[in-house]
Amino acid sequence: MEGIHLNDVHVQFDHPSGITIAVDGVTQQVPPRSFVSIVGPSGCGKSTLLAVIAGLQPATSGSVDINGRRVTGPDRDIGVVFQEDSTLPWRNVRENVEFAMQMAGVSKGERAAKAAAAIELVGLKGFENSYPATLSGGMRQRVALARTLALQPGVVLMDEPFAALDQQTRIFLGAEVRRIWEQTHQTVLFVTHDISEAILLSQQIWVMSYRPGHVIDVIDIDLPDERDASIVSSPRFNELHNRVWTSLQKESMRGFQDVETA
Amino acid sequence: MAVGIEPSQQAPPKRLPPPRGARWRAAQRVPQGVRSAAASAVLLAVLFVLVQIGVASGALRQTGLPLPTEVVGSTLGLLGTGGFWSDFGRTCLEIGASIVAGCALGLGAGIVFWKLPLLGRVFEPYLVSFYAVPLVLFYPMMIVLVGINAGSIIILSSIMAAIPLALNTRTGLQGIRPVHLKLARTLQCNARQTLFGIAIPAAAPMIVAGLRLAVVYALIGSIAMEFTTAQNGLGYRIRYLYETFDNKTMFAYIFVVLILSVLLTVLMAMAERVLLRGRR
Ligand SMILES: Nc1ncnc2c1ncn2[C@@H]1O[C@H](COP(=O)(O)OP(=O)(O)O)[C@@H](O)[C@H]1O
Ligand SMILES: [Mg+2]
Repeated sequence: MEGIHLNDVHVQFDHPSGITIAVDGVTQQVPPRSFVSIVGPSGCGKSTLLAVIAGLQPATSGSVDINGRRVTGPDRDIGVVFQEDSTLPWRNVRENVEFAMQMAGVSKGERAAKAAAAIELVGLKGFENSYPATLSGGMRQRVALARTLALQPGVVLMDEPFAALDQQTRIFLGAEVRRIWEQTHQTVLFVTHDISEAILLSQQIWVMSYRPGHVIDVIDIDLPDERDASIVSSPRFNELHNRVWTSLQKESMRGFQDVETA
Repeated sequence: MAVGIEPSQQAPPKRLPPPRGARWRAAQRVPQGVRSAAASAVLLAVLFVLVQIGVASGALRQTGLPLPTEVVGSTLGLLGTGGFWSDFGRTCLEIGASIVAGCALGLGAGIVFWKLPLLGRVFEPYLVSFYAVPLVLFYPMMIVLVGINAGSIIILSSIMAAIPLALNTRTGLQGIRPVHLKLARTLQCNARQTLFGIAIPAAAPMIVAGLRLAVVYALIGSIAMEFTTAQNGLGYRIRYLYETFDNKTMFAYIFVVLILSVLLTVLMAMAERVLLRGRR
């Protein structure tokens, strides 16, 4: 049972004005050492699904197994990169990257070596002593990425990590993530609302519907492993883009109708 | 197997400070502190000269101010007397003890109010209104309970120092960004790690602002209570010299209290720089 297994995961939120179904029966697998992206309109339950896999949020029903173990709570072998800036402003880059290892009780010498390697991996060499306040948004996300990678988790979950960044930085960092993944081959589940980003990075895409949240389409990305930005103009990329777009559009139209008739 | 959309080592944007930017910033800050210290020194010197001229020319005779040069002279004279050091030591002990006890109490209360929001909501209005009450008024009661000694002053000054710190600590802890607490959870931090690794550093700007208030309140509380009733201490001595019409020595003691408060302020500014290193 390697990889991530989602078994009929439901999540609903009860509030005074009623019930919100955020995730409605998702059954999927992320094969070990593969890169899978989730695309879907905002509010479709992507973050909630990721929080359940990370053990931050209990499922109302259903279950998640990671590498054969049932998820019952957070686990340091599951690394999470958040959408919001999660760097610690009172620690410089090196201390930020060491934070996760420090909490895990890694020895000082090992911490320093692993932090240096992770900082190099994300391209922040030379900024070890800088504080987050002096870094751009993209560099802070690199710090968060390095902090997660330094613990060498078997599974990495990323919730729109680059959504708050400008288009160019996003493309740069997407390429970095893909490059890093090709070195580490961790199991990655990557949430985004950018279709091109999802196609460029992943081996498989799950398309989520507007509401209630389930996976309406699973698309294998049969592009070559070695891809660069030029692939965007290839016919196959366009076909894949159209396929994802068509699924999403059908669903968002239905979403608008729901809102209008509600 | 690089993707090749861009080189893996992205060149840093130009507008960013050079590597080791934090140290560079710190280096810039020191002259700034020196500059403001120099500005206050100049201001004091100007004031000193003005008062000197005013007193010497008789324009300030009504105020009873002695010549500033005489005050400095008698202050230096005080340093040789055992009586001065006994008063000074007693006041420093009171202030120091109430800062330590007040900070521990305030920080602890702030953390408890954050951990137990219900308790925090119940107590906050009382704390806020206590904050507005001159607690020195409870000193006679404390004298009855504890006696005329450093203990009763330390107890009340500690409480005075603790209240603003407790309120600030609670506000700071409530303002922690949720993503930082989420990070703590994903890293399986235990309660101690979350508190010392995330919560307190995250709330540090508010806590440090509370600390500044705590120090000021400890100082004001100790000296004011000595001033009303005591058998020792700088505040007591000033009151005594006032009642015996020893104007010159009284101003020398007042001068010492001023120096003490400036010293505490400078120490706090230095502590603040260390505690808030790297922010903004
Ligand atoms: N803690 C919560 N309490 C109530 N409703 C929530 C909570 N978290 C998310 N929701 C709701 O669940 C739905 C899915 O949210 P989310 O998973 O954040 O979507 P996405 O990440 O795809 O934008 C939304 O309608 C949102 O309002
Ligand atoms: Mg989201």
